[in-house]
Amino acid sequence: MKKILPPEELARDARFVRVNIQDTIADPRQAKVSERNTGSAKLEPDRPAAADRARQLMHGIFMGEVQALEGAGRTTFDFTDEEVPFQLKLDMARQSWDESRHCEISVKLAEHMGTEIGEFAEATFLYEAACAPDALLRLTGVNRALEGLAIDVFNTMKLFGDHSGDPVLAACEDWMLADEVTHVKMGSDWLRRLTENDPERRELALEFQRTVDKLFSLGGFRGETDDNPIQLARRFRELAGFSTEEIDELSEVTAEAQAEAEAAAGVNKS
Amino acid sequence: MSEPRQPRAAFAPWDRRELPGIFGVEETARRVGNYKWIEMRLFEALGGWVATVPELDVKLVLGRHCYHHAWHSELWDKRLPELREMKTDRLTLPPNDEMIAFVDALREPEAPELTIEKLVGVYRVLLPHKIAAYTYHQNGSSRITDAPTIRSFGFILQDELEDWREGEMLLQSLIETPDEVERAANRQRELEKLIVAAGGIAGPGTIGGETGVPAPEGVAVG
Repeated sequence: MKKILPPEELARDARFVRVNIQDTIADPRQAKVSERNTGSAKLEPDRPAAADRARQLMHGIFMGEVQALEGAGRTTFDFTDEEVPFQLKLDMARQSWDESRHCEISVKLAEHMGTEIGEFAEATFLYEAACAPDALLRLTGVNRALEGLAIDVFNTMKLFGDHSGDPVLAACEDWMLADEVTHVKMGSDWLRRLTENDPERRELALEFQRTVDKLFSLGGFRGETDDNPIQLARRFRELAGFSTEEIDELSEVTAEAQAEAEAAAGVNKS
Repeated sequence: MSEPRQPRAAFAPWDRRELPGIFGVEETARRVGNYKWIEMRLFEALGGWVATVPELDVKLVLGRHCYHHAWHSELWDKRLPELREMKTDRLTLPPNDEMIAFVDALREPEAPELTIEKLVGVYRVLLPHKIAAYTYHQNGSSRITDAPTIRSFGFILQDELEDWREGEMLLQSLIETPDEVERAANRQRELEKLIVAAGGIAGPGTIGGETGVPAPEGVAVG
């Protein structure tokens, strides 16, 4: 088995449909979608098409968990004993198990919410961040940036469960949220340990994280206003080792991503 | 009511633990180092394969089992300093080159259509050998002097037996045609030859026979 498995070689059964994220973003229909006035973008039960959006998000969570599982698994394999500490590999193996459980939870929740595997397409951009040749970049790009996004997503979904009177959804999301805080903290701890005497490397890794964070803010997908379906979960991020300054910076990044997307779509907010 | 100051034997009548075990400290440390090495190579392979198997149930099981073997390697890593090896990497080794050849062959399949080959290597060859090696070591050790190692064997063997059963059930659900039976049998034959050439996961004498290590003088107590 070779080291570094490219995203196009991720193995899937016949139900899965893969799309290129660039094609989705460049789809001319996106501008029309942005023009619609549907009120607050927050995922709330009284929002138009809330149930459909929640189902789509649940399917997206499932796909994210599959790729997070694959990424953590690859990190146990792609590096030799000399390249990464033993304990780091153990952490990645633990994360593999956690992500495997999250896949199981997501499949059951997807059924519970009325969708099924393959109803929505899969983009592989999460796994792509897990293909970095440097393990430290994987820990910042995946554990801090993407698992950080998972904190925001699970918290949003948990609140949706609370507000829509779905205790099954709320409870399951809360369990996954607990694991994600652990994974982000792993990333924070390893970033500190691996760059203790190498500030240049730390800055490089944080720059990679910022790039991934911006990509995953997906033009306003995540933020702290009513225009953002996914809300930044400050309290849980603090538990996971983010400083207030880092969260503020992320909030700015998400606002920038939203402004850029609106400019690109020609949306007039006045 | 019993008299608290009345002398009692150190061992209860039902406690049949004995001294000594068949391995000394050094031989135990050597074997534990071999065990840690194979657990590491196994959890890496399972983690690496997750992305290469299209069958969703297999993918999720491999993710779970990956952690089980990582935890086993961690238990062995923690045991080594207690066996006087402070630099644990020094004993985290394969027993011989033949074992390296076996592991290379075990981890070689990558293509998505080779799930049977991947699973046979783990669940029909390596895990049965690990279970045999751990059981032999556990049964041959003194439950007094080497109780910490035996306690780890208890946890690890429980995982190994459950994982082996789960893997075997996955295989039985995947093997449906005579051709697939052949594939599984061929793969098992190929890998079994390699692990036999290595003498097992701890080299010759893994489950007894010629070990090259004299057993300690026996002092039958019990």
